[in-house]
Amino acid sequence: MRRLSRPYFSKTFSKTLVWGFVPPGTPSFLRDLPIFLAAFSVFYAFLAVTRYWFTPISPQSEIDLRPGALPGYAMFSVTRIAISYFIALVFSIAYGYVAAYNAKAERFMIPLLDTLQSIPVLSFLPGVMLAMVALFPRRQFGIELGSILLIFSGQAWNMAFSFYSSLKSIPNEMHEVAQVYRWGRWQKLVEMELPFAAIGLVWNSMISVASAWFYLIACEMFILRNQDFRIPGLGSYLQTAANAADTRAMIWGLVVMIGVIVAMDQLIWRPVIAWAEKFKFEQIAGSQVPHSSVLDLLRSSRVLPLVGRLFISPARERLSLFLAREWRDRPVDHRRGNAGRWFSYAIAVAVSIAVAYAAVRMSRLAASVTGSELRSIFVGGGATFLRVEFTLLLAALWTVPAGVAIGLNPKLSATLQPIVQVVASVPATALFPIIVLLLTRVGGGLAIGSMVLMLLGTQWYILFNVIAGASALPTDLKEVCGVFRFGRWERWRKLILPGIFPYLITGFVTASGGAWNASILAEYFRLNGRTFSTTGLGAVVSSAADTGNYPVLLVATMLMALIVLAINRLVWRPLYTVASTRFKLES
Amino acid sequence: MPEPIQQLRDSLAHSRWNAAIELLRRHNPEEASKAVIALPFDQQRLLFRRLPLDLAALLIGQFPYFHAYAVLYSLNAPQIAAIISAMEPGERYQFLDALPEEAWQTVMRTLEDAHLEPAPVVAKPVEVEEEPASAVPHVESLPIIEARQIEKYFQQPEGREIQVVAPMDFSIEPNTILALLGPSGSGKSTILRMLSGLLSPSRGEILWHGQPLQGSHPNVAIVFQSFALFPWLSVLENVEAPLLARGMAHAQRHPLALKALDSVGLRGFETAYPKELSGGMKQRVGFARALAVDPEVLFMDEPFSALDVLTAENLRRELIGLWSKKKISTRSIFLVTHNIEEAVLLADRIVVLGTNPATIRANFAVPLAQPRDRKSASYLLYVDYVYKVMTQPQLQLAPPTPEAIGAKPSWQMLPHARPGSIAGLLGLLVDHGGEEDLYHVAEELLLEIDDLLPIVQGATLLGFATADEGDVKITSAGRDFVGADISTRKSLFREAALAHVALLQKMKSALEARSNHAMPVEFVHDILDEHFTETEVEKQLETALNWGRYAEIFSYDPESGSLRLHKAGELNVQDVPARE
Repeated sequence: MRRLSRPYFSKTFSKTLVWGFVPPGTPSFLRDLPIFLAAFSVFYAFLAVTRYWFTPISPQSEIDLRPGALPGYAMFSVTRIAISYFIALVFSIAYGYVAAYNAKAERFMIPLLDTLQSIPVLSFLPGVMLAMVALFPRRQFGIELGSILLIFSGQAWNMAFSFYSSLKSIPNEMHEVAQVYRWGRWQKLVEMELPFAAIGLVWNSMISVASAWFYLIACEMFILRNQDFRIPGLGSYLQTAANAADTRAMIWGLVVMIGVIVAMDQLIWRPVIAWAEKFKFEQIAGSQVPHSSVLDLLRSSRVLPLVGRLFISPARERLSLFLAREWRDRPVDHRRGNAGRWFSYAIAVAVSIAVAYAAVRMSRLAASVTGSELRSIFVGGGATFLRVEFTLLLAALWTVPAGVAIGLNPKLSATLQPIVQVVASVPATALFPIIVLLLTRVGGGLAIGSMVLMLLGTQWYILFNVIAGASALPTDLKEVCGVFRFGRWERWRKLILPGIFPYLITGFVTASGGAWNASILAEYFRLNGRTFSTTGLGAVVSSAADTGNYPVLLVATMLMALIVLAINRLVWRPLYTVASTRFKLES
Repeated sequence: MPEPIQQLRDSLAHSRWNAAIELLRRHNPEEASKAVIALPFDQQRLLFRRLPLDLAALLIGQFPYFHAYAVLYSLNAPQIAAIISAMEPGERYQFLDALPEEAWQTVMRTLEDAHLEPAPVVAKPVEVEEEPASAVPHVESLPIIEARQIEKYFQQPEGREIQVVAPMDFSIEPNTILALLGPSGSGKSTILRMLSGLLSPSRGEILWHGQPLQGSHPNVAIVFQSFALFPWLSVLENVEAPLLARGMAHAQRHPLALKALDSVGLRGFETAYPKELSGGMKQRVGFARALAVDPEVLFMDEPFSALDVLTAENLRRELIGLWSKKKISTRSIFLVTHNIEEAVLLADRIVVLGTNPATIRANFAVPLAQPRDRKSASYLLYVDYVYKVMTQPQLQLAPPTPEAIGAKPSWQMLPHARPGSIAGLLGLLVDHGGEEDLYHVAEELLLEIDDLLPIVQGATLLGFATADEGDVKITSAGRDFVGADISTRKSLFREAALAHVALLQKMKSALEARSNHAMPVEFVHDILDEHFTETEVEKQLETALNWGRYAEIFSYDPESGSLRLHKAGELNVQDVPARE
């Protein structure tokens, strides 16, 4: 046991966690130690969270600002995000599956998804919260479930869309293989559809979890019908610290949040990306393969393969065999009988009635909006529109040159990329209180402040896409520019701008959607009992949610969804078509 | 700069086209084609428009295929068609075979258009009925799959229906390889998908062992052009997946999958992933996956098209090996291809499709034994026939008959080897213990392998040696020949030549039939003219004269151009070829 002396142990352990570096001579039980520890902490978190959930309801938990309380809050927030993520994942797979294979359902499911994607998360807040609290009036569980569902609504749509389009792009031959060799539904799902969609799902999961952090702040502490709701978590910690103007606590909170995000990136996303590499749909092995030391650690473990061999493989084999035999033995002629047809008719009728009823109720609700309220909604829409476009312009002004510089210079890229990634991973909402505090000190209003906030939330999408575009510029074209001694302007006009155009458009699409969503948090801000707000649609939505003015909330949300949809259809989609046809660089 | 190139440039510089053509004719095709390729491309195009057809066809056959393609495409469609038709069948299929698929499609379309232009007759499908019993022996007469008047429409978005397959009958008999041949876009793949149960026909019905296909699970497998392997499954898992779908437990499916992999030579690659394999190996996995389920009918959708020429050839050979040795229990193979000679090489029956919508243009048996020799006359006869059916739909042609095939040996092509060279080769073989690798022989004789091959062919034709997989082996007749003195050698050569060389037999009997035992050499010219191009005729004649004079079958007077039967005991000094 001399070897387990503390310095050696802690050194090995921290290296394993941070860099995933396992010295070659490490005994195998040491390699498996991190896995055991991880399993135990997950188990502990599960116990703690469930115990808390079933405590009696207390809408305003006291938030403890001592740094020692932070690990607990971080655990609550991560659990919340994890649960909502898994709900979103299951939802996405189910939704995408039905939409991809049922032509009738597809016709309304996809536009619905488009619309849902353009509705700001916070517009769901009052409805979801009130419903959940009504469902579980006595337990903390109700509020928790509400905030989980809200985070879910910020995560689900893009994943569902990704899964749907992956299913749609499975090559026809693959389907034919499955058909001619009589694969059952289950085998198709686990051997064809899920693997095919895996990479898209992984990237969209990362985006979803990032936006979950963004909304976390708003979902853990909010005002509904002038009642203060607060549930323990990193988001409420940060906001409470800002309210108390406790700089030390704010810095502690931010450090822990960044630490958690970076750790999740290292411990979850990188291994998952490296693992998902095997699902790449290519017939030739790529030269650059993502690599994760944590995944290497897991793969070199002795316990995991044992668990796999003893429990998972036999269980999977049994399940596959059982389902395959069920499928094989089902009657050949599986055309739906009359009962099935009536059933689907019944569902269609029920859905139509529900939709019609909702439409009637909504129009009644909307009709009660007064003229002056309507005017403020439309004026707000215009203001936010201008603000969003101006923010995008500002973002492009610094990110395009910076992104091109980074992308074209491998050395710069190698040093700056990790830094930029960490900076970008900080959810803008966590910084809002600090910035608003600064602004109030400097004396600027939220009219300008809100644009800074939107910028914080959206510029990274453009930056990352520009970097990707610039580093994808073909070397031969760059050499052509060198050989013909193109000037700086000519180089930009002939090569760089057309080359990065498709990437820039992708960045703009995401940033534009993000900016509209962020406007709700950026244009209306409560701090220390004071409300900062400026003219804008986001402010209208937020204040309507705060005061429980549902007619205004409804109309303003609809207007916002309409504007976002219209911009997507009329501006971004045509530009995207141009980008993917005229400016596509064939390799 | 080599002389012919310079001369050619000079004559073209002065627009002396006739002189240039004369020049090209004077040289052998290889040199002539080199001289043409050395010209600027524009000049080549100009020159080609003025070349006589036979010369153009000869030169095209010598060009690398991409160059041939480029030159051809500077001409108009009828010209292209005329040149390709004037090519020798063997050279033509080699040229077409080497073309990438897209280029192949363009050429075939152009040819069809060109042949249709002068007489825009609506192509009538050639009703070629079953040949008499001489065709492939039928063990069972009941077809496995029978399609009756199937057709396929596809619905356009605006409601219009587009017919892709016109009503047709089809049957897949047991123990046959059926090839469906047609340019892409001709609906071949649609037909394959209907017959295999993936698509249902718009009209008509498909019977599987006499029962309607709908609602049954035919035991079929498909090999895809794009391989259609799952990149995230290992080779073994790819092969096992269909077995799992049939509810086979691991203990059952594992050995079956291994056996299938073994049969395609992929043992040891079980844990590899498809992206680590070459194209040929990926398709082997595709075959293994198909064979693992023991399909009654194996469907193949352009299985070799995505592979390079050599890999494809190798796989074809292996497949036909497995099939003819009954190593696979598949009862029938249905092959869809655009490649004429692939069809003729593999199939027992070929169905040629016309396009737009798909119609059956010809349906005939290929009663040639496996494995088939690409150089054999009967093989070329079928290739040529299919080529004509595909490119000239307005012609109503009958497939080659067994008699025509029987008559083929008279077309026997003489390898261009001097008797002295053959004797030299045989001597060397004796020195090396009777057997030697071709490459070693070529090295020792300081010959290019291409120059050595005709000599080896000469020796094997005469029965003095046998060649097998790159080795030449001397026969006892060959040993006798080497050991004999000069006059015995001549008589041995004479015996061998008269026994094996049809042209020399013919010439001898023709001379014997004449009262003066003499005839002009033009007579031989005429015989050869029917079968060979002009230059090849000259070469054949030269070799025949060389052999005949050495064997003392006849003598030849170059001045008068007359042949005279050799009389026993007569010594003809001028006939003794110079020692090599």
